[in-house]
Amino acid sequence: MSDLEVEKLVVFGRELRAHGLSVTPAEVVTATTALQIIDTTDRDEVFLSLRSILTTSVDDFTIFEEVFKRFWNSSRSLSTSTAVRIQAHAPRQTSKGLGFFLEHWGSSFSAGAQPIKVPGASDTESATAKDFSEFTNDELEEVSRLARRMVRRLARKPSRRWRPVKRGHRVNLRRLLRLSLKTGGELIELAYKERRPKRTKLIVICDVSGSMDIYSRLLLQFIYGLQNSFAKVESFVFATSLARITGDLKNKTYKRALDRLSSNVHGWSGGTRIGASLAMFNDQWLRRIDKRTVVIILSDGWDTGEPETLAAALSLLKRRAGRLIWLNPLLGSADYAPVTRGMQAALPFINVFAPAHDLASLRALEPHLVL
Amino acid sequence: MREEVKQIQRMLEEQIYIADAAIATALYLSMVLGKPLLIEGPAGVGKTEIAKALANALQTRLIRLQCYEGLDATTALYEWNYPKQLLHLKLEESSSASETEKEAMIFSEAFLLKRPLLQAITEHERAPVLLIDEIDRSDEEFEAFLLEVLSDYQVTIPEIGSIKATHRPHVVLTSNRSRDLSDALRRRCLYHWIDYPSLDKELEIVRAKVPDIAETLASQLTSVMQATRTMSLSKIPGVAETLDWANALVALKTPELNEEIVVETLGCFLKDESDVAAFKAELPRICTDV
Repeated sequence: MSDLEVEKLVVFGRELRAHGLSVTPAEVVTATTALQIIDTTDRDEVFLSLRSILTTSVDDFTIFEEVFKRFWNSSRSLSTSTAVRIQAHAPRQTSKGLGFFLEHWGSSFSAGAQPIKVPGASDTESATAKDFSEFTNDELEEVSRLARRMVRRLARKPSRRWRPVKRGHRVNLRRLLRLSLKTGGELIELAYKERRPKRTKLIVICDVSGSMDIYSRLLLQFIYGLQNSFAKVESFVFATSLARITGDLKNKTYKRALDRLSSNVHGWSGGTRIGASLAMFNDQWLRRIDKRTVVIILSDGWDTGEPETLAAALSLLKRRAGRLIWLNPLLGSADYAPVTRGMQAALPFINVFAPAHDLASLRALEPHLVL
Repeated sequence: MREEVKQIQRMLEEQIYIADAAIATALYLSMVLGKPLLIEGPAGVGKTEIAKALANALQTRLIRLQCYEGLDATTALYEWNYPKQLLHLKLEESSSASETEKEAMIFSEAFLLKRPLLQAITEHERAPVLLIDEIDRSDEEFEAFLLEVLSDYQVTIPEIGSIKATHRPHVVLTSNRSRDLSDALRRRCLYHWIDYPSLDKELEIVRAKVPDIAETLASQLTSVMQATRTMSLSKIPGVAETLDWANALVALKTPELNEEIVVETLGCFLKDESDVAAFKAELPRICTDV
């Protein structure tokens, strides 16, 4: 194979990369080898061979076909990159400070929450079906109790894998035999094994913008409950930008946790930029996420940013996470449809789209948390 | 098209597998480059069938590893035959063999239970076809472990040492896309996607696999199947279902399809109550079209 052809393949690989396919140098090397063993005068064969080597998923097929057609038809030199990586941050809105917001909460604690009618409100009297927007302080505690209970049950779920233990119910034959060698093949010391518990990690990203006001107070209480019972929970809040609150929530009382929150988290304002906030999350925290991680996003989907930013951020998250759950409090209302641009952009990437407006809906979440 | 690719196509056709240029090319590359072939596609389009046909065509063994959640090295690679080891030790109790000799004895190949991956590596006669079926059902740890085995076709058993493949197996992995596979695994493999077949291809498959079928029946049946796949069903029937249905109709000696017969036999290709209801509602329209 001539150097020219190798060079052309390298450029082709770069072109694919520019269109969003992740082509590695190793794959280009394989492609060069492949071109030596196929009939390069048969265009279809070249196409099929390169496609099976340079793509890794059927989702890439359309892009590959387009690039292939354009690339191998035109002899003119190609521009190295046509795709533009957009990472422009919109100017930050003037911030009011989370402190202000939380102080405001504090006042509503002492005064007792006023029942506010919102689209998600329900008419039934029972506590489980009662909309969060109508919750009073006494019922708040129930929310974190529920969170703790759910999480305790989760942590106990056994996985299918075994681990050796000192005392158990199942005999670990492999180890038993090894031990018996000490005593010349006589079985004296027994070895046991048991099911390893599931290691599900949880990441909660909560929208605390103005439109979520009525709910976020309760959802934060819920997160507080999760945070204080589950070993691997990371929590974040966002409005126009993102803040990690894992450390702040790890506190004996909810009140103290809130105090810490208000003194540590800045950048609160009334607007919502979900896409930009999630992109920020991806930049800093994506490495924490693996396939054993359940990511929960709590938001009503009212995004003032571009839906493309949100879609891009979510698609990245989805690829890394074991499950992506979007809880939308408004979904509990019969006349709500997820038609906002943000929600529309987000839907294709979400595994579970569920309401989060009352205790029953949070309880229904439990099976989805087990991977 | 290169002669070898055509030859693969012919060989598969002899095994009654209708292969298009894409799959033949992918198999050819996978064999020559020595890379595993990852095949994805909806259920029942003949992903597993490819490996079987390939093994038959190459007249070699098919070693199958069915993946499931919780699959681990002891079920996929090897395990020591503990009961046999224990028995042996008991029998040897009175012998004069030293402890090290005894140990060497019970940790020899005779006491090794070879699981599919080890079998594939130690196959002596010729390279077998290793089918790793439904890899998306196993968990990530297993995927990582598999990567290791597939990268150098070598396995290390602490008590014995390294075992290297005498013949590099032809590896075919299938996935129903129930979860995303890791990038590392995808990169190591060649990729092929099988979709539901076109009307012509499906007709060809039915004719090849069910030779007794009457021509009109075959074309009616495939048209109904094609129409069924355009409906929004919870379980879209694959080619396997088409063939089941075709066989059923032949067994019932049906000369031609009509609404009544379709309703009587639709259990062959619809396996869900709500799907059956949806299908029945559409049936008159489908029948007039066909």
